Parts: sequence; structure tokens; C-alpha cells
Amino acid sequence: MNIYDSRDTIIACSTGLTSNTAIGILRISGSNFLEDLFKIVDLDLTKLKKRYAHFCRIVYDGILYDEVVLTYFKGPHSYNGEDIIEIAVHGNQINIDRIINLICNVCNFRKANPGEFTQRALKNKKLNFAQVEGLDLLLNANSIFSLEQGFSLLSGSLKKDFQALYDLYIKHRSTLEMGFDFLDDIGEEQFNALFKTSLSELDNHIRKLYKRCLNMSGSLIQPDIALFGKPNAGKSSLFNLLVGDDRAIVSEVAGTTRDFLSEKIKINGQVFNIFDTAGLRTTSDSIEKMGINKAIEKIEFSFFKILLVDCNLIGVDEFDQKHLNNIDLVIFSHFDKGKESKSFYIDSFNFLFKSMDSNSILNNEITGPIEPKSTGPIEPKNTGPIEPKSTGPIEPKNTGPIEPKSAGPIEPKSAGPIEPREISYIFADLLSNSNDLDVILKGLVFNKFNKFLDFDPILIERHKDNINKIYLSFLQYQSCASKVEDMAIISSELNIVGHCISELIGIVSPDDVLNNLFSNFCIGK
Amino acid sequence: MYDLIVVGGGHAGVEAAHIASQFSNLKIAIITMPNVGLASAPCNPSIGGVGKGQVVRELDALGGLTGKLADLSGIQFRTLNESKGYAVQSTRIQIDKVLYSENAENIISKISNIDVIKEKIEAISGIDGNFLISSKSSTWNTKKVVFTVGTFLGGKMHTGSNTTVGGRDGCESSSSLADFFKNINTVSARFKTGTPARIDKKTIDYKVMEEQPSDSSVETFHVLHGTMDRFVEQKSCYLTYTNSETMKIIRDNKEKSPMFNGQIQGVGARYCPSIEDKAYRYPDKDVHHIFIEPESHNLNTMYPSGISTSLPEDVQLQMLKTVSGLEEIDILQPGYAVEYDVIDTTQLTKCLELKTMPGIYFAGQVNGTSGYEEAAGQGYIAGVNAALALLNKSPLILSRKNSYIGVMIEDLVSNVRDEPYRLFTARSENRLYIREDNSIQRMWSYRTKLGLDKEIDKYENDFILMFDIYSALLKEVYVHPTDNFLTIHNLKVPRRTSIADILKMANINPIDVLKKYFIYSGINADKRLIRTIAISNKYEGYIAKSDEHNKKINKLDGIKVNVEKLLSSENISFECKQRIERIKPETFGQLKLIEGIRPATLAAVAGDNY
Repeated sequence: MNIYDSRDTIIACSTGLTSNTAIGILRISGSNFLEDLFKIVDLDLTKLKKRYAHFCRIVYDGILYDEVVLTYFKGPHSYNGEDIIEIAVHGNQINIDRIINLICNVCNFRKANPGEFTQRALKNKKLNFAQVEGLDLLLNANSIFSLEQGFSLLSGSLKKDFQALYDLYIKHRSTLEMGFDFLDDIGEEQFNALFKTSLSELDNHIRKLYKRCLNMSGSLIQPDIALFGKPNAGKSSLFNLLVGDDRAIVSEVAGTTRDFLSEKIKINGQVFNIFDTAGLRTTSDSIEKMGINKAIEKIEFSFFKILLVDCNLIGVDEFDQKHLNNIDLVIFSHFDKGKESKSFYIDSFNFLFKSMDSNSILNNEITGPIEPKSTGPIEPKNTGPIEPKSTGPIEPKNTGPIEPKSAGPIEPKSAGPIEPREISYIFADLLSNSNDLDVILKGLVFNKFNKFLDFDPILIERHKDNINKIYLSFLQYQSCASKVEDMAIISSELNIVGHCISELIGIVSPDDVLNNLFSNFCIGK
Repeated sequence: MYDLIVVGGGHAGVEAAHIASQFSNLKIAIITMPNVGLASAPCNPSIGGVGKGQVVRELDALGGLTGKLADLSGIQFRTLNESKGYAVQSTRIQIDKVLYSENAENIISKISNIDVIKEKIEAISGIDGNFLISSKSSTWNTKKVVFTVGTFLGGKMHTGSNTTVGGRDGCESSSSLADFFKNINTVSARFKTGTPARIDKKTIDYKVMEEQPSDSSVETFHVLHGTMDRFVEQKSCYLTYTNSETMKIIRDNKEKSPMFNGQIQGVGARYCPSIEDKAYRYPDKDVHHIFIEPESHNLNTMYPSGISTSLPEDVQLQMLKTVSGLEEIDILQPGYAVEYDVIDTTQLTKCLELKTMPGIYFAGQVNGTSGYEEAAGQGYIAGVNAALALLNKSPLILSRKNSYIGVMIEDLVSNVRDEPYRLFTARSENRLYIREDNSIQRMWSYRTKLGLDKEIDKYENDFILMFDIYSALLKEVYVHPTDNFLTIHNLKVPRRTSIADILKMANINPIDVLKKYFIYSGINADKRLIRTIAISNKYEGYIAKSDEHNKKINKLDGIKVNVEKLLSSENISFECKQRIERIKPETFGQLKLIEGIRPATLAAVAGDNY
């Protein structure tokens, strides 16, 4: 973490620096800075009242900079516990910059680093760590949902789940210890029973939390919808249709979209980013190649993936298998210009899947608007990382050394095709049935989103990282328990799980945790 | 004028006097109750056990007496947790308790600079360098005092509604602590411990019980004894169980149990429950282990382990007679519970010296611990530090990182106990390292500092030297997959491999293989040495891994905490605050050691959000 000098007086614009607004609010935080500040304010310092709005002017060297409203919050009764002055200025970005520069130069304040106000709030115990995480979520929320999780963190309810995890861990760990130190008192039989139940309780809880972190792609805070396909499949037309604007350049020339375009669209109050990507094809044009690489990356991490296929070009070109594996929807475009029947296209597409050893299969044609959730959006287990199959808690044998063969280590099952993964598809003529298509697509996307919310997903990256670590160390513990005879070593592995859990609930090194927090987020200007 | 007087001749007192006497210029006395032998065993007749075996070996490597005494009077040897891995394996020796005490008397009586005085003391006065200890008839002067009075402080015994004053059967109690000293805090709650009835050994039907014979492969405690030496005829223990009938009798007589009808106020250890505890707390469980353990070749009694009780004698008999094999028994001595005062050990330094009254040391059960081994460990620390202080040498403080004794002392001085303290392996953060097999490795540097050039020092110096040489050698010597040694013993390796790595392979017994390798290479090594090398080598990687993970936690341990702020915090529970207020921890590490501190509290403190 960058350790900034916390004695500096800092200033920043709290209302953003990207667009002009009616009012911009500058926030100054520190201690004993009033005299310096009042060098540029035409207000009598002695008349300054706490928590009152004062109309005044910023004047320096005979030049009037702005007419402003100034409010004073005296520490410790302020947002971050320091003295804070908020100045409402006219919200033109040039004006804001000019005033901030003036203040920095004349008063010798420093521009705040991202998150520095909040960092001070944390330091002065105005907020606790979980609250800061909640605040971050709140400020960057794109939906009612993330707003809610933000508030729930601010109030600390998610922490209870983590606390429960710790308690279950302690319970399991004490059982193991009991097996060493008090076996004569409890006997093998009772020990085995206790060990088994405590392990499976812990196992369940860890898996539950882990599942809640499997938001397949980046996060649900800002879910992406990616449109992809070969050049000229109609991606840009669809993009324009969904955005409701002629944002993307549409032309007959393949490869028109070089970089990806993005727009925000709102579906039932939730904001999605929709991406129009460069057409995937082999090309010698280096700029187009870059566009394609970017597109591939974007697709990979998208929440909802729509593949567009020109009816007349199926199977002609190669697709990369990894793109096809996780798609949510196939749209056969230019059906009106197609020469073959639907079943021909479907069969040839399924053949393509098969030839690539993919277990996906086209099923479920969508022809009209869909009821919310009725068509069964794609299960997260198919789109997210594949969940390791548990063979059940491992029960150590206590009468003798543990046989290596007893319940082998739990290994993530690789994408072995068990059940075909069904993918919805649509036949579309992008020009004639555009209204329906818009509604259908938005319905599909939102249904999938809702499905995810049912999992009560965990959104904070730090939590996800830690839970992932806990999960992996727990798998390792189980694997060790099945392979190693020495219970002392097994318990040492369990200790490592414990450390990871401590880290999640914040028992471990606050430095590391803070580091992580402030290096990843830009919190509350 | 004595240099040191040890008050009390139990396991703590004997160790304290013994180690101090090794510094030949010091003159020492043990003053102990009349009618009791030194180092007697009023409860279970065994030495060692999980965690405790490690302490006995630590003591032995430090030049203590307990291991030697246990070997000399051992009648049944066992390795506990044998299937669970070397780090948690512990030796336990059933002792002939009469012989054990005789051996202690013998050894102590041969030490010229120890006097044994059997009198009951009445008062202590004076200051460091010149204390006056008096009985009804005599007074003695001494520079230092080690106080090891066990359960005698304000002791009170209970069998049913009968109560007697005394610390154990057949003995009177000492006065209360306040009679000896002013300005010393006892723990507000009294402690309680108990012992089961002793059964006439001729009246037991052993045929229906599981016999547990002595294990001839278990190594002796004392390093100068032959590893497999046995000094007395070996005896078996026997295992039987309680049943629903037994437990019903106990449950039906609940109001007659002094522990549950309010007669006993003292707190017993949760991990050493009486049979009444087991009956009332676990109403669904009727089957509990009873180990029938011989007490002595020269006594008619057997000790039924696992059923300590303070019920009236007739109920004890009735209940025991329901147990398979005990139908016809006679009780020779009923079980009883004893309540006693313990001191607040947070007043002690890590040398176990009273902070407020330098020159006075406390060790053993009076410090709220249970167990002969814990007592002996503390006795050694108090005795050796009293001696070192007399000789103006720097104190001997064992770290919790490399010894269970260190773990115990730190736990004691940083915590007010609310139940008797017993060592177990879970108390150590470093369990993979603190093992029985490497006790010499762990204790050698402490022992060397004492500068006592005894026979054991020569043995240990050689041991350490050879350990280093052989350990290095094993890493350097590589064998080819087709090497004769491997083919003879049917060991398969994929490529050229060092012996050290071969010993780490899963599913082999590293001790066996190393032994074979030494024979194969014509190296003649001590059995203990082979064991230590093989196990240390095996654990190396795991210890490194666990250290790595401990580092983060350890870094945090040094952080200072602000007690005032903790106490005014809204994020910390009332119970936690009470404990914090009592202990006043200075660092996060100490806060963590306080029993009953919730993880939420730790998280709040670590996150600095309190």
C-alpha cells in the first residue's frame, strides 16, 4: 500500500471529474488548515459555524475565482473524523480544476489519492473494514441488487456467514484435537462419528460459500453481454437494435468493427454493458488482429454470450472451441436470405459441436417473448467453473494407518461430458422481426441474471479471493487426509485452512488486507 | 542458613530440589508433611501420556529426575496414539507407586547437599535473601523458597456428605495461603479434583476384560537407561466399560453427589470429568471406558481409571458392582473429591517467581495445574531459576516454540485460570516440532547453558554431534534405482535419490529403513539417534510449510493493544471484556492466549476496528 503522509491536508472533488454539472463539491480534509484556506475565501474565519452553509467567494490576488457555498464539519464529528470543509462550486470541470490548483498552490494542500478520505475514516475508526467494503460496493453499484449488498455489508450481515464458517472450523478442529488428547475418554467410535459430522458440516458451509463466489465471469456488479461471431454475421445490427441507436457502423464489408463498442443498457433496473466485438476471422490486417484478440478476451469474461451465425456460412470457417463452450444463445441471422430449412442449420451446427468434442447441443428454439424464468435460463453450473464432485467427507481410520485408497482425494472433475448442455437458439431476420427480438433477448439475459441472484452471490473481490483460497486449502486438506497416515500432519494441513479462514474474517494481518483493499478500489473520493 | 528451601515433597518439590542440588555449592532442604513419602502418587498410578510424555522427556534431557524414576518403577509401558503419527505419539508408563516413592527417597537421600525435613510448616516471613520458615517446634533460615504445596492449601475432601479437612487421604491440610503470606491473590474460585475408589485386586474378575499387556518395544524415558530396559516385573492393565445400569444408579443419586448438590463449590477440569459429570452432562451415553490399573506389587489395590467420584461410599460400591468383571468387588478406599486454593499465576514471572515477593517461587498444583508431569516441569523451572539466581546467573526460560514446558509456563503466567490446567498437544502451535523423539535436540542448548558437566551432558553432546553429521550425510548420499540396498529391501525409486528423500516417501517406516541403511552401510548408531534422525527428516518439509503459514500470525502477535479502548468498545462482548480486564494483555499475542476470547474479538482487534 502506498502510505501517504496522513498529516497532510488533502483536497479532491467528490462529485466526479468526468462531466460538467451544475454543482461540484470539493472536499478538504485534515487538521488545523482553516487559516491557510481562508487566505482565498472572503469570509471572516471567526464567523465560521459548524454545519452551516456559508455563501462566500473564492478570491485570490484580486481575482474572483467563483462564488461558492462552504460548509464546515469539525472532527471528530465528520465523515472521516478529521476536520472537513466542503465547498460547493460551479460544476464546470475547468472551473473545478482551476480552484483545486489554486488551493493546492496557495494553501499548500495536496490532491487526495484515490480512497484517501475513506482510508482516514478507517484509520480514525469512523468506519470498519467491512463497512468500507460495503461502501465501495454501494458507490459503484449499478443495480438495486449491489446497492443492497452494499448496505448489508455496511450493517455487517454478510460477516455472520463468515463467522459461522469460523465456528464450524473450530468445531471440526477441536474434534480432531480430541482424537489426539482425549481418545481414551471418548473412544474411537464416538470420535469417528464426531469427526464425520463436523467435517461434513464444514464441507457444506465451505461449498456453499464457494458456490456463491462462482459468478462465472468478473462480477455481477457490471455484467457484460457480448455479441460475437464471424465477420458480417450481423453483430452490429443487433447491437444497434438492443441499444436503440445507430451507434455501431453497419456495412456490407466484413470486418467493419475493429475495436469493440460498448454501451450500457438497462433491463428491469439492472444495468448491463453490451459489447459489439470485432468479427472473428483469420486476418493479416494487424489492426484487425488486435481487435480480434481484444474481442476474444472480452467474450471470455462476459456474463451473457450471444453467438451470431450467418445461415449461409455455417461450418465454413473454424471457430475456437473455447468460445463455443460457454455460449448462452445462438442467433441464426439472415434466415430470410437462407436457402435451407431450420433443421438443416441446426443439424449442421450440432455437427460442428460434435466435431469439436463439445457436449453442447442446440435445443429449445425461442420464437416469441418469454415469461420470466419460464424457459429455464442456463444453469450456472454449466457456465461457471466446473464444480468438483465431492465424494463425501473423508473418514480417517483410527485403528490403523489410513489406507491411501480410502475415498480418494477430491479432484475437480474436468469437463467430462455427462449431460449435454442445451443451448437456446433463435432464427432471425434482423430487419423484419426486430421488436420481438429485442424483447426476447432482454428477457433471456435478465432471467439468467435473476438465476444468479438466487445464489446470493458474493461480490467483493477480497471475499471471493479468500473463499477461493479456503476452498483450495480445504480440498488439499481432504486430499492429505486420504493419503497421509500421520494425523499430526493432517492437522497441520487443517491449520492452513484455519489461517485462510482467519484471513477472510480479518483476524490475520490488517496490513495485507488493507493493502489489497486500497490497491484494488477507488473508494469514496 | 539454607540457600533454598523447597516446601512440599511432591513431584514439583523433588524436581526443584534435585536440579538445584546439581549446583554443588548450594545447600538445600525439602520440608514436607510427615507420613508421606517423597513424590507420591495419590491419584492415577502413571507417568507420561499425551503431551505429558513430551514433558517427561524434556525434563529428562534437561537433567530432571521424573523420567528416571518412572523407568525404575515402570510396570507397564505403552505408546499412546501409536497410529496417529510421531508428533502426537506419547509414552505412558504405569508405575508401581510404592516403588516410585521409595526410589525418590533413595535418590534424594544420597544427595549430600539436600536435607529432607518432615514437618508441617506454620509461617514464612522475611525478604529475598533471608526468609524465616517455622514449624511448631523449629525455624529455618533460607535465601530462597520454592513453594510446592499441591492441594494442601485450604484443602477439603468430600465423600458423599462426609467432609474432612486435608489435601489428600490420610493427611491434614496446610493452612490457607493467607496465613503464610499477605498481599497474595488466590483465584476467586476454588479448584476441585477427584479420585476414584480403590478396589481390592483379588476380587476382580479379569477374564471378562480386555487385557492390555506391557509393550516391550516402548523406549524408556531416561536417556542413560538402555532403550528397552525394564527394572521390575511387568503387569497388565485391563479395560472394561460402564453400562446403562451403572449410569442409572449415578443419575438416581444425583442429589447425593457433593458436586451437584452444592456442597462442592470448586471448579473441576472439563477434560478430566468425574463419572458424575459424565452421567449428568451426557444423559444419552451409558458406555464409558474404565481402565483397571495396578498400583503396586506391594499393594492390594487396583485403580479404576475414568470413574473418579465423590458419591457416598455405598453408592460407589453399588455402581461399581454393575460393571462387567467388578460384580464381586470390595472397595478398600472410597473415591473422594478435594477442593483447594490455587494462586493467581499471573503474579508470577516466567521463572515462576512472585513478582511482588522476589525470592519466592511457586510450582505445581498450587498454580492450578493438574498432573504429576506438569508439576514436575514447573518444579524444575522454579528450582533451577532459584539456583541460577543464587549464583547470579541469567535465568533459564524455555520458549513455547520448542517445548511443552515453555508452552505451559507462558500459558500459566499470561492467564488467570478458571479450571485446572492440563497440558495437551493442542496447546502448542508447533506440534510437529515439539515431539518426544527430538527432546534432546530441543533441550540441549538450555541444558548446556547450566554448565553442569555431568554424564548426561556427555551423552547429549555426542548425540547432537552425531545427529548433525548423519543428517547432513543422508542428504549427500544418493542411491541409484538399481542399488543393492534398494533391491534387497524392495524399495522403488524412479531416479537417483538421496537417502534423506527415500526416508520421506509415503508408506514406508522411516525408522526401519534408516536402521536397515545403517546396517547395510556398516554404521553403528544409537537406537534413539536413528529414531530422531528418521523422524526429524520426515517432518522437515511439513514444519517448514507450517512455519511459513505461522509467520503471518506471528507478525501480528507483537502488535500492541490498547486495553482501555478494548474495554470501551461496542464490538466486544461483555464476557470477553471481563477476561481482558483481568489479564490486561499488552500485545495481540497475549490477547489471543486468553481463554474464551471470541474470534470476533480477535478480528475486531486485528482489523483495528474496536
